[in-house]
Amino acid sequence: MDTWKKVAIGAAAVVVVVGGTRAAGLWGGSSSGNSKNLSFQLPTPIQTLDISKNTDTYSGAIIGNSGSNLMRVDSKGKAQLELAKSVKVSDDGLKYTVVLKNGLKWSDGSKLTAQDFVYSWQRIVDPKTASQYAYLASGVKNADKIAAGKADVDTLGVTAKGNTITFDLERPLPQFEYLLTFSNFMPQKQSFVTKEGKKYATTAATSLYSGPYKVEGWNGTNNSFKLIKNDNYWDAKNIKTKQIDVQVVQKPETAVQLYKQGKIDRVLISGTPELYKANKNDKNVSKAPEATTAYLQYNQTGKNKFLANAKIREALNLATNRKELTDQVTAGISTPATGLAPEGLAKTASGEDLAKFVAPGYKFDPKKAATLFQEGLKEVGESQATITVTSDADSPAAKSTLDYLQGSWEKALPGLKINQKFVPFSQRIKDSQTQNFDIVVSLWGGDYPEGSTYYDIFKTDASNNNGQFKNEAYDALVNKAESTDALKASARDNDYKMAEAALLKDSNFNPLYFRAGYALQNPKVTGIVLNSTGLNQDWKLAVKK
Amino acid sequence: MWKYILKRLLLLIFTLFLVVTATFFLMQIMPGTPFTNPKLTPEAIAQLKSTYGLDLPLWQQYLNYLIGAAHGDFGISFQYQNQPVSMLIGQRLPISAQLGAQALVVGVIAGLFMGAASARNKNNKIDGTLGIISTLGISIPSFILGIILVYLFGFKWPLFPVSGWGDSFSQTILPTLALAMSPAAITTRFVRSEMIESLSSDYVQLAKAKGLSAKEVVNQHAYRNSMIPVLTLIGPMAAGLLTGSTLIEQIFSIPGIGQQFVLSIPSKDFPVIMGTTIVYSAMLMVMILITDILTAIIDPRVRLQ
Repeated sequence: MDTWKKVAIGAAAVVVVVGGTRAAGLWGGSSSGNSKNLSFQLPTPIQTLDISKNTDTYSGAIIGNSGSNLMRVDSKGKAQLELAKSVKVSDDGLKYTVVLKNGLKWSDGSKLTAQDFVYSWQRIVDPKTASQYAYLASGVKNADKIAAGKADVDTLGVTAKGNTITFDLERPLPQFEYLLTFSNFMPQKQSFVTKEGKKYATTAATSLYSGPYKVEGWNGTNNSFKLIKNDNYWDAKNIKTKQIDVQVVQKPETAVQLYKQGKIDRVLISGTPELYKANKNDKNVSKAPEATTAYLQYNQTGKNKFLANAKIREALNLATNRKELTDQVTAGISTPATGLAPEGLAKTASGEDLAKFVAPGYKFDPKKAATLFQEGLKEVGESQATITVTSDADSPAAKSTLDYLQGSWEKALPGLKINQKFVPFSQRIKDSQTQNFDIVVSLWGGDYPEGSTYYDIFKTDASNNNGQFKNEAYDALVNKAESTDALKASARDNDYKMAEAALLKDSNFNPLYFRAGYALQNPKVTGIVLNSTGLNQDWKLAVKK
Repeated sequence: MWKYILKRLLLLIFTLFLVVTATFFLMQIMPGTPFTNPKLTPEAIAQLKSTYGLDLPLWQQYLNYLIGAAHGDFGISFQYQNQPVSMLIGQRLPISAQLGAQALVVGVIAGLFMGAASARNKNNKIDGTLGIISTLGISIPSFILGIILVYLFGFKWPLFPVSGWGDSFSQTILPTLALAMSPAAITTRFVRSEMIESLSSDYVQLAKAKGLSAKEVVNQHAYRNSMIPVLTLIGPMAAGLLTGSTLIEQIFSIPGIGQQFVLSIPSKDFPVIMGTTIVYSAMLMVMILITDILTAIIDPRVRLQ
């Protein structure tokens, strides 16, 4: 048994060496730093630090925390002055004049100027940049023309003179204040971007920071890096945290375990229904806003004659039990939808949640639904209806959503046959845009905390009105909100409320649920600002006791 | 021999060309575009397509790609903004390669010991136990083992970190073990049968008859001869490890090439899909070539022509 002895001795030696060196701290235990350091987790690797080009939420969280803009959203969801000393808007809402604070600096100590903002706005609309978020600048003078390659970037309605930036708009934009907080419009220094060229923002070292922290140790691929306090930030005296450790942990279960071991300070538990059920009773659980609505679009082009009939659409809406659907499909994580604009998106002028204020009263009434359905069938001249519901196979809730709709609708509406159709995500988008569907399950996430990010969807001829319906009352109200009422918050709230009512009246779409998330957070950590749009988690004022 | 290698290399380039062509045209059949944000207007999508050259006729895109690829330019990722595909792969491939190499070394060495032990203790308890272990090793997928290891050594007895790469060597231990199980099991079974065969062969009988001790017979003759064919296994196993590490990379949050490949497909990141496919096929073919050459060197009965 000589071999065995040797193996045993060898193994023992390995154990001793491994254990010994580890105990001596030569390796392992990466989070063995200062206990005041914050430690956060991202569920996917970050893709870029490019301010103009990023579209990803988690890359956006790093960009947003290492950068700053003219304004920043506070814990109450209001935009407050950040790099700007003042923001003034003209009476017609077409001109914003912004004066910068004095003595602003980049993380390398160089001067941060008004020109850096102009360059950043020009860069995002420049077709050469190929930013997928260029559309956010739409409404600023010549932005659409430049993005389409029909005008020079110099003609953009963003100009600088000394310490002052002027924004000229083509139409009033109720959301404009929030665009001034958006990470894709944060300043960028032209000379730096040009110097780094193709390497710009592909690593921590080839990026420049204007925010509370600077990124260190991200080489473009690695899954753990740091945010270090930026001493050149204008508000550096209020930044109490010196270092934030960020690590990518892709398995949600592993992340929760790391939280329980005290290695990360905040973790989402809504990744899977099982994880949510196992942890929802923990006293440190809180709701994380998402501002995403799941809804059904009805093809109203006449391609499916049943869905062109308003009574049949109304019957389907009334036969939808949103509470039960939400419980079954998302284990109660999400909230039953009450309209198009989701909860947590925005506040009304009086501080109420916009979704609550505008809710037009979607009801579950299977009896009335059955009657309407029969009437509708008569109008169409048929005794039975067959309708296909399309969803994308990529979403975990897809199958259970369609199962629920099929089961409950077929039961409530005799004579209705539902077919299920699953396609890949990008095919679903394509099918939606080419009206190759009867009913399609759609998800929409808001871009900024203002109603128009949702109400623009269903304008006649809008590219996202995939059912291609025309609701004149709705169009008129939304246009009013975005023109005469653009700067009158409470009038705008009312326009949106009536627009929701117009959608309900014609049963143009069917809201299902507002997606939500839940997170566990270390009770010692305070000061994180959570936003449902834009910068998902603002760590500027986060501290650990 | 050299002529043979040259011939194989030329064939390799031709095969790569076929792979590039097939992948390129297969990707065109995939539904959708890389620009799937439903908020993009048709004009914006048209603008993006023209920026990336996706509005050109298909044959021209194909030709441009071939010319670029021949110059080592695999394009720029759509998903990872600004990053050239060569840089994406260049940074991620070494990570996967290190993981694969560690798993291979651990697996093969463990397999050699276990196989030899098994053969020498043929049909007794040790052989039985090792037989069960190797059967499990072959039948349990590495990602299941990975999760078990995370549970046991990450949480039950938190000895090792359970995610990440590059901060410390300890991060590599659990994923390496999870991946090493399969090569260890394959090697064990292979070595066992080879060694049993050689233990009953004429030259071993002769060695015994000469009066050599059992230990000498095994170490000098049986062991060495049964180890050599294992070399031929390494090629396919290495290729398998590189491609098979995808799920392990996911479980342990390792920024490797396999994970990148999988993520690039649903997001239609064409340049990354193409680049990774080329690298994977090239590696597989090189591995097979190396295996063939090794076999010829080791086994004089094989003639390369």
